[in-house]
Amino acid sequence: MSCGNPQAEPDALMQRKKKYDKTRNCVRCKDAIGNIVIRHAVYCKYCFFPLTTHKFRRALEPNVNAKPDGPRKTALKPAGTLLVGFSGGLGSSVLLDLVYKCYVSLDKSTMPAEGGRDHPRHERVWKKITVCYVEVCDAFPGTPDRTEDVTKFVSRYDELQLATLRIQDAFDPAWWEKIGGRMSFADIGVSLADEALFIGSLTQSHLDPLAALRAYLSSLPTPTAVHSAIQTLVRVLLLHSALHTGASHLILGTSLTSLAISLISGVAQGSGFNIREETSEEWYPDTGVTNVPEYWPDEGRKGKRLKRTVRVVRPLRDIGMKECAAWAWWSHIPVVGKETWLWPGAKPGIGTLTKEFILGLEQDYPSTVSTIVRTCAKLQPKGEVEGKCILCGRPAQRGVQNWKAQIAIRSQPPPPPAADARAALSPAPVVAEPPFQASLTPYLCYTCHTTLTSRSARPVPTPWPDLARPSVVSLPVWTAARLSVSAESEGAEMVEPTDEEVVRQRKMGQDEMKSIVNEFLLED
Amino acid sequence: MSTISLKIEFGGGLELLFANQRSHRIDIPALVPVSAPSAAGPLSTDEQESQKKPADVTYLLYWLRDNLLKEREELFMEHGTVRPGVLVLINDTDWELEGEGDYQLKNNDEIVFISTLHGG
Amino acid sequence: MPPRLCALCHAVRAILKRPKTGQQICKECFFYVFETEIHNTVTEAKLFKPGDRVAIGASGGKDSTVLAHVMKTLNERYSYGLDLFLLSIDEGITGYRDDSLETVKRNQQQYDMPLKILSYDELYGWTMDAIVTQIGKKNNCTFCGVFRRQALDRGAAILNVDHIVTGHNADDIAETVLMNIMRGDIARLGRCTSICTQGEDTIKRSKPFKYAYEKEIVMYAYFKKLDYFSTECIYSPDAYRGHARAFLKDLEVSRPSAIIDIIHSGEAFEIKEDVKATQKSQQTCRRCGYMSSNELCKACTLLEGLERGMAHAVATDRGRKKLDADDHAPENLRTIPFFQLPASSRPNSTAPIEAAS
Repeated sequence: MSCGNPQAEPDALMQRKKKYDKTRNCVRCKDAIGNIVIRHAVYCKYCFFPLTTHKFRRALEPNVNAKPDGPRKTALKPAGTLLVGFSGGLGSSVLLDLVYKCYVSLDKSTMPAEGGRDHPRHERVWKKITVCYVEVCDAFPGTPDRTEDVTKFVSRYDELQLATLRIQDAFDPAWWEKIGGRMSFADIGVSLADEALFIGSLTQSHLDPLAALRAYLSSLPTPTAVHSAIQTLVRVLLLHSALHTGASHLILGTSLTSLAISLISGVAQGSGFNIREETSEEWYPDTGVTNVPEYWPDEGRKGKRLKRTVRVVRPLRDIGMKECAAWAWWSHIPVVGKETWLWPGAKPGIGTLTKEFILGLEQDYPSTVSTIVRTCAKLQPKGEVEGKCILCGRPAQRGVQNWKAQIAIRSQPPPPPAADARAALSPAPVVAEPPFQASLTPYLCYTCHTTLTSRSARPVPTPWPDLARPSVVSLPVWTAARLSVSAESEGAEMVEPTDEEVVRQRKMGQDEMKSIVNEFLLED
Repeated sequence: MSTISLKIEFGGGLELLFANQRSHRIDIPALVPVSAPSAAGPLSTDEQESQKKPADVTYLLYWLRDNLLKEREELFMEHGTVRPGVLVLINDTDWELEGEGDYQLKNNDEIVFISTLHGG
Repeated sequence: MPPRLCALCHAVRAILKRPKTGQQICKECFFYVFETEIHNTVTEAKLFKPGDRVAIGASGGKDSTVLAHVMKTLNERYSYGLDLFLLSIDEGITGYRDDSLETVKRNQQQYDMPLKILSYDELYGWTMDAIVTQIGKKNNCTFCGVFRRQALDRGAAILNVDHIVTGHNADDIAETVLMNIMRGDIARLGRCTSICTQGEDTIKRSKPFKYAYEKEIVMYAYFKKLDYFSTECIYSPDAYRGHARAFLKDLEVSRPSAIIDIIHSGEAFEIKEDVKATQKSQQTCRRCGYMSSNELCKACTLLEGLERGMAHAVATDRGRKKLDADDHAPENLRTIPFFQLPASSRPNSTAPIEAAS
């Protein structure tokens, strides 16, 4: 029982605070008049730069060595090279600038004063730094291609190499082959027409990647799904590129503000189980479907070679968007900008709504974003892991389909009115799957399943309304490859025995596999 | 009527709303009607001449909206102030240190508007 | 659009679109899925044992009115074997609770359930009207919320029940998850999605509507022609509605599953072990015996503030701590009667009610 106004529960309201503490002087040097307010604290322009650099190093450097450590004493020896995920936006532009100043040009202003000239920080750390840009414009009508602007921008920084990808590469077998993916495609896709997500044969076997991408996006049920699908595609493209180029680290320009937004937006899309991966992630590919490069952990090339993994770090996670804007402005960085992902008639999705909500809140309560990030850092996933999601590659929680079926009955007809009272006692069964038709559902995490199935109350226009939508659409190459491998091989053989210690892969039930085989390989 | 001269700069993509021009030099009245520009509504012109106050940043926001802005007003202003996510610098200093919209403009002030919304 | 058949029974014309799933279904199927999902929640969480005495927190509003109806329906249909009671709290707000208490009294007749009404006046010696007279309209919700929570437990003790069920719905819980993340309340975040809470010294309390959408509760009341009062508290007008609620509504419009997805998120994480260790442990209030995270429970602190005419000071955390440190309560201070759990703490031998296999 409540008073009908849940907001009135005790302590439910956040107190509005004033914008800055007592004086206008810089809290660091105590001397100069401040230029910027960062969450109530005032800093002058001269103290702002070392402060920001310090926050950047503090977030990145403890994660550089294979064994993460606290305040660092030893030299930084990453296991591979560095890949910088670049979107053209403010955050990644500032990230690139910081990386360049700290590890390429060794800009004096970024060096900590202590430790002398031979301090390990005064080193280049990375043997090679590659910037990877994924051009997303082809996903939306009328969106300008920024590749040239980005090329020009990155060329300001000598010694940084640029690799460009296009979003449709996620559907391109040629790209997949290039980065070492296993080519064993059965021509299978998925039907996104309803919640069953049946796997089916593609009507056109070799669709060009762009058409496949657009058909996939246009078949998604909500604007939220389109955004979230593209984010996933970009993320996995970057991860595979990192792996392929020998990078041990992928760094992203997610600022404190963006991180808070993605955490809340993730929670609103059901990804509480993966809240940790939103901040940092240790990614390894599916060994069954790609070649995983190996390396010697020690310089002497002795001992056991290890499979490469990619560590995703967000070095701007303590630096707010406002600080990024100030850094970019005061450092004269010509930010290229990132297009908003819009199309005619599109309604704001969960990501956009969350962004507007958090930015509005931040204006009145400047601590909100850091509170969100700090709170989420205190959480860990609860429940068992059941392999990795076939779409996004993140750990999937066991039992989510049963959970969904319990809390929202979708398929059970009610008993006839005159039914025996005892019949009514039987529990509601889980979603009944028609026999002999395989579904993508058991391979998906909660979030990806929701992305593919959850609908808006009213139909929404898709980015490409005039496109003929096939009943079965292509899946991203890594997903298709894993499905094909699953269908071909028998049981445990799909997992290479040597990978047991790092790879936990979902073992498929015999029936499930048989149904895939029946449907796609043995027919006719 | 006396005027003050201001240097206005737009960054972070906001310049796209202002004819894609980053730097502007403008003149605005030094004194403006007391009740004129406020969060409540747009400029009203028929104010009593006697009731005047020095032009402040809130006045400037409405002035920019009415005189310089070319498109999509909602990306610049919201609820009588700048849209959340726009950083404002007054003579290179965060406007939060200068009283935000209440800051009284002086001749040759430099006001910078930077959007932080260009993504990550 | 041509008439559509119900997506569940495929026999009758669909008359509504289910907010939770978007499926177009008929009225009978809606009743069936709505009630069965509550039943699933009850059996999955093993909330009750046959013979349990259960109090329904009844405000006369939509949630508790529908809850009383559904609890009665399920208790009969599935032979839960529960003794159901209605428990109402009268905050003492003239013109707000009067009508809704009439609804509760009517429910007592309709459902043939014993009713206990416990008032703030009776328990604390203060009505909300009197509290607002002293402290004004700001902060009064703090008093009301703290007092209500304790009042429910005390009413339950008087009724000698084992269990209180409340009408908190999925929207409430989703909002709480968001709110707790945004204000960093890690302790509440850890427990806000549990369907059932029970400390050692409190009466078991649970939320059978945990997965029920607010919109569907309203829809159920509408089609079942259940009457309820949707009065707004005169002391917390609509402008008071929080940021999180408005945000949640926007999310729901964009993608209706968002409410259930947020709850799923809340259930899929937990507080890290090392953080848990730093959490404050619960104790009992040295003055009234109710569970508390400090020496004095919130209700006692607030009451003392009212009695000493310094209620504003205690409405903040700092004020409460100060009072807490100040050991000696003045003489003649009105206090809350000492809290004791119902004597009949039942033996645990009975098996919980589960779905029949």
